[in-house]
Amino acid sequence: MASSEPLLAEPAAGPSRLRVVLDRATGPLFALAFFAAWEAVVRLFEVPLYIAPPPSAVLFQLWRNLPRIAEYTLVTGGETLGGFLSAVILGVPLALAVAFSPFLRRTFYPAAVTLEMVPKIAFAPLFVTWFGFGYLPKLVIVFLVCFFPILLNGILAFGSLPPELHRLCRSTGAGPWRTFRWVRLPAAAPQLFVGVKGAAVNATVGATIAEWIGGDAGLGYYIQIATGDLRMDLAFAIILVLAALGLALFGLVVLVERLLIPWHVSQRRSSPGGGWG
Amino acid sequence: MSVAVAVEGALKVYPGPPAPVHALGPLDLAIAPGSFVALLGPSGCGKSTLLSMIAGLEPPSRGRIAIDGRPVAGPQTAIGIVFQSPVLVDWRDVLGNVLLQADLRGLDRRALEPRARALLRSVGLEGFLHRRPWELSGGMQQRAAFCRALVHDPPLVLMDEPLGALDAMTREQLRADLERLWMRTGKTVILVTHSIEEAVQLSDRVIVISPRPGRIVRDLPVELPRPRTLEVCESPPFHALVAEIKRIFQGYGLL
Repeated sequence: MASSEPLLAEPAAGPSRLRVVLDRATGPLFALAFFAAWEAVVRLFEVPLYIAPPPSAVLFQLWRNLPRIAEYTLVTGGETLGGFLSAVILGVPLALAVAFSPFLRRTFYPAAVTLEMVPKIAFAPLFVTWFGFGYLPKLVIVFLVCFFPILLNGILAFGSLPPELHRLCRSTGAGPWRTFRWVRLPAAAPQLFVGVKGAAVNATVGATIAEWIGGDAGLGYYIQIATGDLRMDLAFAIILVLAALGLALFGLVVLVERLLIPWHVSQRRSSPGGGWG
Repeated sequence: MSVAVAVEGALKVYPGPPAPVHALGPLDLAIAPGSFVALLGPSGCGKSTLLSMIAGLEPPSRGRIAIDGRPVAGPQTAIGIVFQSPVLVDWRDVLGNVLLQADLRGLDRRALEPRARALLRSVGLEGFLHRRPWELSGGMQQRAAFCRALVHDPPLVLMDEPLGALDAMTREQLRADLERLWMRTGKTVILVTHSIEEAVQLSDRVIVISPRPGRIVRDLPVELPRPRTLEVCESPPFHALVAEIKRIFQGYGLL
């Protein structure tokens, strides 16, 4: 090329400030518009409260019943967190054991898969009979819905070390512990988090439905009372809180993931697939 | 003469199913300490299998292998290994990847760090110590893998087509790096390759292996001056050796 013109006339400037602000605001603005439209439609067509309450009524109910909602949030939150954490604490080591034990792969694993195929809710009345109406049956249900994604992804995670990396470890004479600590565990972490995030999504669902079936406290119990009285504004307020609870747990897991595996491809800022894991 | 690696009557048969495959041998080979030996053969001739057997990662079906007079039974630890892919881990930076060798061996990381830094400097990676593998080009990643194979100062280094996945220009650069590292450290190196030029350029001795089942068909000393500069690689003796090996493969209908 004889042309003296540079191929790139000037270095590409970053997006303008206004652009950045607008990009950030898109999500909240969209939500605001959605709820405003909802409010308008419900009021305009005089939709009865028991079919679709306006967002303003939902917020009002949230405010008026705040003490009870707060109390029940602690109950449901406790069940969710307890079941979720016990699933992580038991699921990860069990996945490791299944990945390395042909015996467990033939015995425990098919049993776990079979259990997973049963809708966990079918167990709920049984657990009420066994454990009563308190905390324990809910914890067990949450544990069950969280356990399987963790186990399945954990087995996959621990079982798929690249063969050459395995050969490298063997050539160093490293025993099982050193290999696990320095290579196997960090290599398995991204796939482990896939399972833990799946469990975090399931956890509040499990807690809500468990309370539904046999409970005397919690947001799932409260929602049933509200809908039974056709107080849909209150029901929506509780749903709002449940959504926040679920998001909080998921957000917590994502935060832990960012802290523990900042090196993974899903966490890199520059990668097109990066961002929210 | 002392012998670094002795292979006697080594044979490898994979039992199948569907049918047993006779991959390699029987073959005999004695490698002198401090020499750079290339195992050169077409793909599927069992040369990588031979390397695995020397490393003790795979037992021979028959025959015996010894390193420094000690029979190989199980994984050898007094070696360094380089694979075709760099096999660097994403959760460590470049320096950390080289020192992974120390951690896996239960050695003191701080004691090996000066050596790791010196090795990385010698291959031009001193400015990339704290970069992650994915920020490096393929050639730079493989250079880091060379350093990882050398940091614990093993007497024997096994390389399984270390330049096979690189582009032509990077390959030329890394050949020079490899020779420089070898000349400085004086280790015994066994290089598996299917590139005739690479084998001749780098080795003291080229072991030509036949198609499967792999057997040694020629044992050629390479008596060219070192370092093997561009002038050496353009000299008539270099081309004569390359042509001689090509004729062997031609005889098998491979070229």
